[in-house]
Amino acid sequence: MSQGAATTIEPIGTPRVAPPARHPSRGWRRRLAYIVLVGYALLMMVPFAWTVVTSFKTLPDSTRPTLIPDPFTLQGWQYAIQVLDPSIVRLLLNSLVIAGAVTISNVLLGSLAGYAFARLRFRGREVLFIVVLATLMIPDQLRLVPVYILFSGIGLTRDLGQYVAVFLLLAISATSIFLLRQYFLTLPKDLEEAARIDGAGHLTTFWRVMMPLASPAIAAVAVLQFQGAWNGFFWPVVFLTEREHATLPLGLYLFRFAGGFATNWPPLMATVVIATIPIVVLYVFFQRYFVEGIAASGVKG
Amino acid sequence: MSVAGRSNPTPRIGARREAMAGYALIAIPMLLFLVLNIGSFLYAAYISTWKWNIRRGPQEFLGLENFQRALGDPVFQQAIWNTVYYTVLWVPLTMILGLSLAVVVNQRIRGQTFFRAAFYFPAIASSAAITTVWIFLMAPDGLFNEVRGALGLNPLFEAFGFGPSFNWVGNYRTAMNTVILLNVWTTAGTFMLFYLASLQSISREVYEAAAIDGAGPRQAFRWITLPMLRPAHFFVATVGVIGGLQLFDQAIFAGSPNGDPANSLMTVVLYLYNALVIQIDPGYAAAVGVILFVVIMTATLVQRRIFGSAPAW
Repeated sequence: MSQGAATTIEPIGTPRVAPPARHPSRGWRRRLAYIVLVGYALLMMVPFAWTVVTSFKTLPDSTRPTLIPDPFTLQGWQYAIQVLDPSIVRLLLNSLVIAGAVTISNVLLGSLAGYAFARLRFRGREVLFIVVLATLMIPDQLRLVPVYILFSGIGLTRDLGQYVAVFLLLAISATSIFLLRQYFLTLPKDLEEAARIDGAGHLTTFWRVMMPLASPAIAAVAVLQFQGAWNGFFWPVVFLTEREHATLPLGLYLFRFAGGFATNWPPLMATVVIATIPIVVLYVFFQRYFVEGIAASGVKG
Repeated sequence: MSVAGRSNPTPRIGARREAMAGYALIAIPMLLFLVLNIGSFLYAAYISTWKWNIRRGPQEFLGLENFQRALGDPVFQQAIWNTVYYTVLWVPLTMILGLSLAVVVNQRIRGQTFFRAAFYFPAIASSAAITTVWIFLMAPDGLFNEVRGALGLNPLFEAFGFGPSFNWVGNYRTAMNTVILLNVWTTAGTFMLFYLASLQSISREVYEAAAIDGAGPRQAFRWITLPMLRPAHFFVATVGVIGGLQLFDQAIFAGSPNGDPANSLMTVVLYLYNALVIQIDPGYAAAVGVILFVVIMTATLVQRRIFGSAPAW
């Protein structure tokens, strides 16, 4: 993003420092460096390639170190869809619903609050913003017990309430508010003033003028929150205790401890593939937002 | 006063409307934060001093008894030891690997974008997926054992007492070390991104000046790059230690809720999870949470002492 406003760290893409070019012996060194680099890059990919390959193998074939399934079979996938309880289709839907709701909620609440903290004047604004940032210093594990007691008191530890419990915990993160506030601060005030002169109220100005301008920051928040909710394990393992409510990471956990299943690798690897592919797709298309999100989540320190 | 008064004839009503809009826009997030973050922070401290029943609430005031009980429990002591062991090894190893990757990717090399993306790749998947794959790779008949056998490395492993189909994740001697290795691998890419951001902010002139003064690449790294990265070290180490002390996902996945094998994967957070979700003892669990919080805060302050102040960004 050209403005680089969403992050407080210099975005990737700034001029690089050239290593002092000297020795004539650099030729073979360079080649060696490339071999190491490519080797390491491959090492990063092997486990994922291996996972995909294994999901198309038969169980006896799955422990053999061969790259081509022999025979190629869809049994593992069939098993994961039809036999596993809950089916990976159910897990996928649960993950989509939770991650989707969390993403939408963070974008909406985060941009509204971010706009208020950046632009509107009200008493106690600075103190309240510090309160928002202070929430990042409280580890989830310390909140676990009181939140659990509170939620079990109001019926959020059973039935559909379990979804609500996880959603409420992830519905808004201080990181989202912080990212969007920082971005709104960089936008010129003239635009809003022009809209205001044309007779638009605060909300109209926000929807029609500010939200469209903030789309790079919104994208960063959306990607960051979707990934976080999709991959999340701690709150789901505590609250989504009814099997049919499990998300994909939780499904992997259940299957691992389901009796005798631990060694039925092909369907387990199929579940891993389903749990990972959406994030890989997001990563391929929105890589820069991942980088920005990581840089921004640095606030957590 | 006069200028402001003239340009806006009804400043009070406008200002009030603006303030009301401000409060309305932050109302829902603030409510959630006050109840689920700030409020529960204080509530946790309160709960930790009681014998608490999940349905009936506080039963008996215990003062610091929950804390004494935890600190006196050998399993909890083991959990603290495991967690500290993990953090002390995992953080520096990940920093070294992350910094190395950042320095390499920061060079003028072809395919830089590809390498950066590839190195960060293991960090994007969920801990659940990665750990499942890891257990599969390190299983007795998994790829790792197959490959080392095929490469003829088995005599070497045999010398250290690891048989040809050694169960790396399932054996108490190696379980924690394999988790460390796993997390170094997955987190190094994240640390690389942090370091990269810092490396790119060091200006080229500094290196040119050093080169004129006769400094080679090695000296430049030792005397320019490393000191200039001090704020990054602080940041990465702090984030790392906070994360390390909260180790949970990989431990419960690779072992079990009980810290198997033989308590070797029992961590502080896993112990807390057990106390609440399995033993259903909220007062005791809250005390463990408070202990963990104090440890994290202390570690952060100590690091601030070692590395100096926080980075400007």
